[in-house]
Amino acid sequence: MPKLLIVDDEDDVREFAASFFRKRKVDTITASSGEEALSISERQRSDLVLLDIKMAGIDGVETLRRIKELDKDARVIMVTGRKPNEQAYFDKCRELGAIDYIHKPLQLDELETIVLKELFK
Amino acid sequence: MNLFAISGLLITLTSVVLIAILSVYGKNKLHRLWTVFNFSLIFLGFSLFKIGTSVSPGEALIWWKVASVSGGLLAPLFLNIIYIFCNLPNRKILYSSYLPVSIFIMLDFMNLGTYRLRFIYGPFYYLELTGFVLPLFLCLWAAILIYAFYALYKFYVSSKGLVRNQAVFILVGFFFGFIGGGTYLLTTFAHILFGKNIYPFGQTGIVIYSTIITYAIIKYRLLDIKVAITRTGIFVAVYTLVLGLPFLIAIWAKGWLIETFGPEWWILPLGLMGILATVGPFVYIYVQRKAEDALLKEQKHYQHILKQASIGMTRIRNLRKLLDLITRIVTKIVKISYAAIYLYDKETGDYILQISRDKHRISVPKLTSDNPLITWIRLKREPLIYDEIKRQTEYANNPVYKQLEENMLLLTASVVIPSFLEDRFMGFFVLSDKISGQIYTEDDLNVFQVLASQTALAVENAQFYEEAKDMQEQVAQAEKMATIGTMADGLSHQLNNRFYALSLIAGDIMDTIKMTNTSKCTPEVKEMIRQINYAFERIQANVTQGGQVVRGLLKYSRKGEAGFEAISLNTLIDNTLEMVQFKVRLSEIDIIRDFPEDIPKIKGNIVQLEEAFFNFIDNAYDAILERHALLKEEHYKGKIIISSAAKNNYLEIIIKDNGMGIKQEDHEKIFTPFFTTKVSARKGTGLGLYVIRRIISDMHKGRISFESEYKAGTKFLLELPIAR
Repeated sequence: MPKLLIVDDEDDVREFAASFFRKRKVDTITASSGEEALSISERQRSDLVLLDIKMAGIDGVETLRRIKELDKDARVIMVTGRKPNEQAYFDKCRELGAIDYIHKPLQLDELETIVLKELFK
Repeated sequence: MNLFAISGLLITLTSVVLIAILSVYGKNKLHRLWTVFNFSLIFLGFSLFKIGTSVSPGEALIWWKVASVSGGLLAPLFLNIIYIFCNLPNRKILYSSYLPVSIFIMLDFMNLGTYRLRFIYGPFYYLELTGFVLPLFLCLWAAILIYAFYALYKFYVSSKGLVRNQAVFILVGFFFGFIGGGTYLLTTFAHILFGKNIYPFGQTGIVIYSTIITYAIIKYRLLDIKVAITRTGIFVAVYTLVLGLPFLIAIWAKGWLIETFGPEWWILPLGLMGILATVGPFVYIYVQRKAEDALLKEQKHYQHILKQASIGMTRIRNLRKLLDLITRIVTKIVKISYAAIYLYDKETGDYILQISRDKHRISVPKLTSDNPLITWIRLKREPLIYDEIKRQTEYANNPVYKQLEENMLLLTASVVIPSFLEDRFMGFFVLSDKISGQIYTEDDLNVFQVLASQTALAVENAQFYEEAKDMQEQVAQAEKMATIGTMADGLSHQLNNRFYALSLIAGDIMDTIKMTNTSKCTPEVKEMIRQINYAFERIQANVTQGGQVVRGLLKYSRKGEAGFEAISLNTLIDNTLEMVQFKVRLSEIDIIRDFPEDIPKIKGNIVQLEEAFFNFIDNAYDAILERHALLKEEHYKGKIIISSAAKNNYLEIIIKDNGMGIKQEDHEKIFTPFFTTKVSARKGTGLGLYVIRRIISDMHKGRISFESEYKAGTKFLLELPIAR
């Protein structure tokens, strides 16, 4: 069963996204902060990470960098609620090895398409 | 020297002054004739002077002849003046009036006019009447004069305005003159009838005539006759006293003075004269001021109010209120039936009616800048007076006067008072006739000119204030936009997170419903589930829409961080059109892309370039609307053409519109922040082109220039770096 790590400081986002992917036979674990995501990543490897950029504590970009330090093959999709065309963030994430960059809000079926494509390819 | 000789000398001198004035100010036939008249007067005055000082009867006789001829000539000359002034038809009477004088001159030279001279009042020879020649001619002389005065009086009654005023001057001036001159006969008659000698003092009246006319010509156009006569009268009275009193004392009290003071008696009158001559001017000024105060009480009153008002005006900052106040002042206090104010309009260059004070009259809405009236005022910088212009049309052959007269008639203007601020012709007042029927005096015009220049200042003030207020509003608006931009940045994250959560919640529930087997449920439950599912679909749809709203809001965030990327011109235009469609009705205009598909990409920041292009299209659209509204051309359709070509390392982009274009005088200003020509309905911030230039030149190290022709369109040329 592919393993998905959802990192987001929003309870509702974690709960419902996890619920959704579990129904699709995806082993979904959640982390409410960058720190928590890193401690999980130290213990176990995920097939895909959905990583929110703006979080309290260490932010998504820094978390991405450290996850990549732990596992340079880690596959991470960045999620942002900021405005589109934020070239600086976008470039940085791409440089650090994020595989995609998605903008909130988006419909669940779009998220499904993106995530399942990455998990089952 | 005796008084008779002195008065003769005075007549000569005043006539010389009058001729001098006429030669400076004189322009037409009337003035020339008047000059001839005064030459005659010089001869008369001089011959009287010579008569007064003649010691032999032979010499006196010669000068009496000269006096008779020149005095005789005055009557037909006067009639001639009246003919021209009143524009009388039927010149036969005029021409025949010269006949008796010519005959008299002939007789005179043939020594047929019979004169007899004798001494009166000391050492000069006076004329006595004998025979019939002289009395006959005197009667003819009087008849000509009576006829002339009668004609003038008839003209005076039927005339009005300035001409009427001038007629009064002529009437009064000449009346004094001829009555005074005629009194020389009094001495003669008195001797014949009563055997008494009356001193011939009357010809002083001629001096009065000259003084009145001189004054009237100096103050020519507009002066109350009352004032003129009073001023002249005071002048004559004061100086007669000053110069005459010592003389009279010297003559009458000579014997007594010699008795009392001995041979040095003359020091007393001389001293008195010296004292009076020193005091004279002060007395004159004092008396004149008192007299004027009394005479001009009403006039002084409104002048005072006007002056007060013009000071108060500068404090009013609202243009409309200001103009309203000014017309109210003018119409109420000066009591005229109609007043209007026209102001220069920067947009069109016309002079546009701002306010008029008479509901029943339809005022001329505007005068174009090429109107002869405007051209004239700009050149002369003086008030225009209808009566004067009308008079000029009659005398001068200049067609301009005719045009001026017609325009003033259209404006129903009795006077037009221009308002200048330094060299700028800001506008003008139009004033109709006074309700009282009185004419506008020189003093009136002075006050109105003060009021007009004060108005120019106050209007400038008010306009400046309003512009400053507008600008402040624009700055506030710009700041508000900037604040929204910053806020949008922070808000968007929060909002998007909420929408994201909502989207996931709704999506997950719909997913659960979809994946749950409901076949065993009752129809009611199935219906309920269907409704719940529908509700979540709606939530989902609203969330999606909300996300778009936030994205739209973010477009106004002007921060646009410094990321540069390769941008295709087509994408740039697409994005811009998407943004601009909320402000610009794209269906109304044609947007034409005139460049190949494979044009190189621009190296740039998409947010900034979108902003720049947004402003280009927004401006072009406004220019198109303006042309549409102003020129009202049939079949006009707005067009924006975007063409492009690669040039070395740069991509040249040309954005061309067929809108209103930019006026030549604004060309230098268009990139200045807060400069805007957009009119009230679609107010600009004045920042558009400033932002564009910053984006193109400063941020992208590109180049921007433009070409524009007013009423034809504008073309912007950009050079932006090509992405490698």
